[in-house]
Amino acid sequence: MTVSEDMLQDEFETPAARRMRLVEKYGVFAVVILMIVVLSILEPDIFPTTQNLTNVLRQVAMNALLALGLYIVIMTAGIDLSVGSIMALATMLLAMADTGGLPWPLALFIGPLVGIACGAVNGLGLTVLRLPHPFIMTLGTLYSIRGITNLVSGGRPVSGVSPEVRFLGSGEIPLPFLGEFASFPVSALVVLVCYGGVAYFINKVSLGRHIVAVGGNPQAARVSGINVDRVLLIVYCLSGFFAGLAALLMAGRTGAGFPNAGIGAELDAIAAVIIGGASFFGGRGTVLGVFAGVLVMGLLRNGLNLMDVSAFWQQTMIGMIVVGAVYVDVLRRRAGAAS
Amino acid sequence: MIGKRITGIFALLAVTAMAGPGLAQDKVALIMSDIGSANPFWAAVSQGAIDKGAELGVDVAAVGPPGGETDVAGQIALIEDQIAKGVKGIAIAPADTAAVIPALEQARARGVAVLFVDKRADMPGTYIGTNNIPAATLGAQHICDNVPAGSDVAILQGIITSTTGQHRALGAREGLEGCGLNIVAEQPADWDTARAVSVTENILTANPNLMAVFASNDNMALGVVEAVRNARKLDEIFIVGFDGNPNAAEAILAGDLEASVAQRPYNMGQMGVEYVLKLAAGEAIPEEIDTGAVLVTPENAADFK
Repeated sequence: MTVSEDMLQDEFETPAARRMRLVEKYGVFAVVILMIVVLSILEPDIFPTTQNLTNVLRQVAMNALLALGLYIVIMTAGIDLSVGSIMALATMLLAMADTGGLPWPLALFIGPLVGIACGAVNGLGLTVLRLPHPFIMTLGTLYSIRGITNLVSGGRPVSGVSPEVRFLGSGEIPLPFLGEFASFPVSALVVLVCYGGVAYFINKVSLGRHIVAVGGNPQAARVSGINVDRVLLIVYCLSGFFAGLAALLMAGRTGAGFPNAGIGAELDAIAAVIIGGASFFGGRGTVLGVFAGVLVMGLLRNGLNLMDVSAFWQQTMIGMIVVGAVYVDVLRRRAGAAS
Repeated sequence: MIGKRITGIFALLAVTAMAGPGLAQDKVALIMSDIGSANPFWAAVSQGAIDKGAELGVDVAAVGPPGGETDVAGQIALIEDQIAKGVKGIAIAPADTAAVIPALEQARARGVAVLFVDKRADMPGTYIGTNNIPAATLGAQHICDNVPAGSDVAILQGIITSTTGQHRALGAREGLEGCGLNIVAEQPADWDTARAVSVTENILTANPNLMAVFASNDNMALGVVEAVRNARKLDEIFIVGFDGNPNAAEAILAGDLEASVAQRPYNMGQMGVEYVLKLAAGEAIPEEIDTGAVLVTPENAADFK
């Protein structure tokens, strides 16, 4: 949201609308903090340890990148269901190339390149084939790319990814002052750099602002001279790129390419974006909110794992949080309309 | 402002982190490759592990990845979280043979004992599960006990490139030959019911005096039943399957199928906990531990439905 829009809203909104806007903007951070406090009280010996907190960062890294790509897509009121499959194909091709003898500096690029290529297919399906909604195109690629992954791999994992290629996903920066095994994951740094980059891109680069404009009102964007098709193509390539980068981290974390990588991951990523306050109608949402959404899901899973709570509860609770987060969005709109 | 508050919380947490872990019961984890209670096999493994834990006074966490069998990332997170909880040992059925290796190596590097239950990863470690060779021999023995010596019998093999398929075929052959039966056919039907029907039809045509069939899984055994029923020989031919599946149990109760060989998942859970504790205590344990098999017959088939 730009500064001028903020000022406009401040002038016209009712107190109720202002309250809802605050809830929407900061509510998810309050949830993150609340979860940290509650888990620290429930599992005081385990949850707040350096090892566990860095585990949460390791575990959310892949979802964080997928969610970042989906955030850009959802900003345009689109959807990308294929990111989990793209991640699987990219992990597999990356592992096969690396173990097949491709020099590692080149192998590093396989994941992101495969991602961009798959994203381009999605984008072209949307803009050239004129399929009615990105849901259709990316649902198609969700199946096809998963199928291709199984075809190229024969459904078998490929292990033995080289240490150089694994560095971004499994490297650790030792923190000896915090304990014998304490270390900070390199993958978390990759995530931070990407989030910083996208925040800058969306807010400061003209192409990024065009993405927001296309999401807010495609008709107006078109009239004001933005090449909407070009913007959409780039958006789906970016989503693919982040899925490919997530694949690189996944290959690092597991030392392998495996055909079941990322099954259902697109839903986790969409949930994180929605919990983070982005609007499904496009044009609204912040990078920081998405990160908080990713943390909410990661902390929930970690906390329930530590308490050995059945996996069924994890699914149930994530579902309730998604609905709750969107309900906040509905309330905000209603309050806004009442003013 | 929000940023500062978050930093504050993390600083607070960093201080709390300095406090060491409290004293508690020994903990071990059984990490399954599926959500436990969603699948009767894993529900039994998990119950066995929990009962053994209660018997030995050990805290057992029986957990599985939230996304089910394909949720490899979820299983890796479980391994990390159980290490963070300070478990002494992890008995695991890996969701992927390769992808879980780094996390399990990390567990071992931190002194956590690791062994495999039901499935193994491509790394060294004790395997606790069904040894298919003696299990298939158990089924073959049941045929020996029920048909006259020297009778013609047939074996339906699974996918013969898989270890499971090879071991079951081998165990069946050893058992049937061992008691002097005459094996007239050994053919693969690839674990598939429809294929088993056609393979059995051919075997029946070529061998009119066939007295018994051992099928390497229940799906194929049910195919054998269909082919034999069509040939109106259901009362003459003795059929034994493998797996103890619910639909096979029903066929046994109906009198179509004579028996099936079942794995013992409850035993797997019990032995998983027992041996991972031994391993954690520094004892040497065998590389392979057979959890045994049990015959499903009309007497006990109701328990397998």
